[in-house]
Amino acid sequence: MGGHYRYDGSFAGLLTLLARLLPARILPDAISVDPPLQQSLFTVVTTVETDQLLVEQFWEKLSTHLAPTCLRIVRLAFLADHPGRELMICRYLLLAWEGKNIGNMLAHSDVAPLWKLSQQVGREAHRYLGFVRFQEVEGGFYYAGIAPDHRILPLIAPHFAARFRDQQWLIHDNRHGEGIIHDRNRREWLILPMNVHAEPQLTLAEERFQVLWRSYFTTLAIAERENLRLQQSKVPKKVRPWLVEFS
Amino acid sequence: MAIDMMDRLKILAEGAKYDVSCASSGSFRRNRDGIGNAASCGICHSWTSDGRCVSLLKILMTNSCIYDCAYCINRRSNDVRRVMLTPAEVAELTIGFYRRNYIEGLFLSTGVVRSPDYTMELLIQAVRTLRQGYRFNGYIHLKLVPGADPLLVEEAGLLADRVSINLELPTREGLALLAPDKSRDAVVGPMRQVNKLIVINREERQVSRQVPRFAPAGQSTQMIVGATSETDRQIVTLSEELYRRFELKRVYYSAFIPVITDSRLPVRPASPLRREHRLYQADWLLRYYGFRAHELLDEESPNLDTELDPKTGWALRHREMFPVEINRADYEVLLRIPGIGVRSAKRIVRARRQGHLGIDDLAILGVVMKRARYFITARGRTAGASNLESSLLRSTLMGGKRKQADSQLELPLSRPQADNEIIDLVTGEL
Ligand code: SF4
Repeated sequence: MGGHYRYDGSFAGLLTLLARLLPARILPDAISVDPPLQQSLFTVVTTVETDQLLVEQFWEKLSTHLAPTCLRIVRLAFLADHPGRELMICRYLLLAWEGKNIGNMLAHSDVAPLWKLSQQVGREAHRYLGFVRFQEVEGGFYYAGIAPDHRILPLIAPHFAARFRDQQWLIHDNRHGEGIIHDRNRREWLILPMNVHAEPQLTLAEERFQVLWRSYFTTLAIAERENLRLQQSKVPKKVRPWLVEFS
Repeated sequence: MAIDMMDRLKILAEGAKYDVSCASSGSFRRNRDGIGNAASCGICHSWTSDGRCVSLLKILMTNSCIYDCAYCINRRSNDVRRVMLTPAEVAELTIGFYRRNYIEGLFLSTGVVRSPDYTMELLIQAVRTLRQGYRFNGYIHLKLVPGADPLLVEEAGLLADRVSINLELPTREGLALLAPDKSRDAVVGPMRQVNKLIVINREERQVSRQVPRFAPAGQSTQMIVGATSETDRQIVTLSEELYRRFELKRVYYSAFIPVITDSRLPVRPASPLRREHRLYQADWLLRYYGFRAHELLDEESPNLDTELDPKTGWALRHREMFPVEINRADYEVLLRIPGIGVRSAKRIVRARRQGHLGIDDLAILGVVMKRARYFITARGRTAGASNLESSLLRSTLMGGKRKQADSQLELPLSRPQADNEIIDLVTGEL
């Protein structure tokens, strides 16, 4: 039992690791992304190489044994920016491995935290369906910068791909250094590592629409009902730099 | 050009901002090759400094009006600058905002120019440009003009996701007094017509999916509360009727706050926002909790309690039904317990299949124990002195809520429950 395990940080990587651990009922002491920041002298670290074939078999097995909502919880929790997420997932799935019907055990101590975490991720992803602001830049595409707490890009990509099919666009997660690129001609999107080196150059139309939007937005507020605290709980300070109407 | 557009946009947004309907939910349009789709669960894009969510470009086409409604800033006899956007400009603005993901769609209303039919045609032209010219599949909510020709009403419903016509005032007398140019029939006629067309459309679409959708997100209405002397009982009963007879998706309540003076209007109604808030809570109970209007209000107490939410109020009047054992009670009964909302009731039903729940499990499932504790048992155990004397319990349940000033109330302009638990559901739960 126990032990320290490392994987490559991808979902497939984690599944590979779990495919090895769960059947042996092993609950590790730690799971970390390769390479780890520091190692204690006496721990033995096992690094697991991602194995696509194994992943597919394992996922199929999970899909037949677990309700879709449970799989969704696992997927969402994996995207959480939370250092303990791998171990939490491991604990959760171990319960299922013991034959428990985890779908309904919402109050269990190995279920509730993961469920909560997945809800946080899901909620943030939902919020970002509204919090993305595209800017039309020279070169014929739309750019949006965001800095979400969790790695929500895979969750929001399908929504924007369906909605802005006829646009070339890009959503850049500045915090995690990755972005989605949508190609309107090929009708597909990709998530890639991404960093920005220069300010995007806005088109004239872009500047005009930003001005119009800002003035529209300020007009909407009803002065007698001002409630900045409520506004702040809905639009936290940390997301405002990315929102045209707050900049 | 941009400056002029900005001025007009400001004036026309100003004129529509008191219109409370905001939800863009309940529709689902797929995007084939154009732009946009209507998400079925509603997405808020921003929140104004009064805490209201922004999801639609909400504007008037024009603030000119041939009518003279007492409560309205755009009425004929009021001296304000009159401006107008052309249908093409409305469409261009909508698309420009939508492409940048500022909005979920358009909410288009207007003052009445020349005639109801002429005005209705302008609105339709804007929407047609969006749908056909820009191939826009996003959400559109169109206001119907009272007295408009049924053919135009039908056309509007074929282009828009939701249509609405404002009831304005809860009673015929109120309407005659404050909006003398509009008759109850000019409002209710189109409402009835839209409901008929929705029903027919639903049946036709059962037979063939080729039939175009008619107002897929249904219709809603709005009324001003507190400008005339109706009781809450009259209002809530009317809403119940509207939900039942015309299958309205939402009834919105707008607390009357004077924007202009008129001898027919009350000067400064008492706690208008608190009253509005309670009406929304009562409305929520009608739509999602299986309550009937007469359970919430009767002749002896025709107005909602301002200090207590209506569900807690109901529970205190029916103490014989409590405490409820949460491991056994039916879903419908769970829903009637203060502090247990639709979501937590569903979770309880799911979780207890796995084994009996204890008191401590409930908070995890989202139950607001502060309120629920007096009304429940779990495995036969109570979570507090549930035999508190009624009057004492009442003040206990009121405690803490007091500090909210009127202006601090959050407007529950929320969207209907979606089943997906992940979605951040809003506030209305009681
Ligand atoms: S018809 Fe509408 S815009 Fe005209 S005065 Fe009445 S409420 Fe105002």
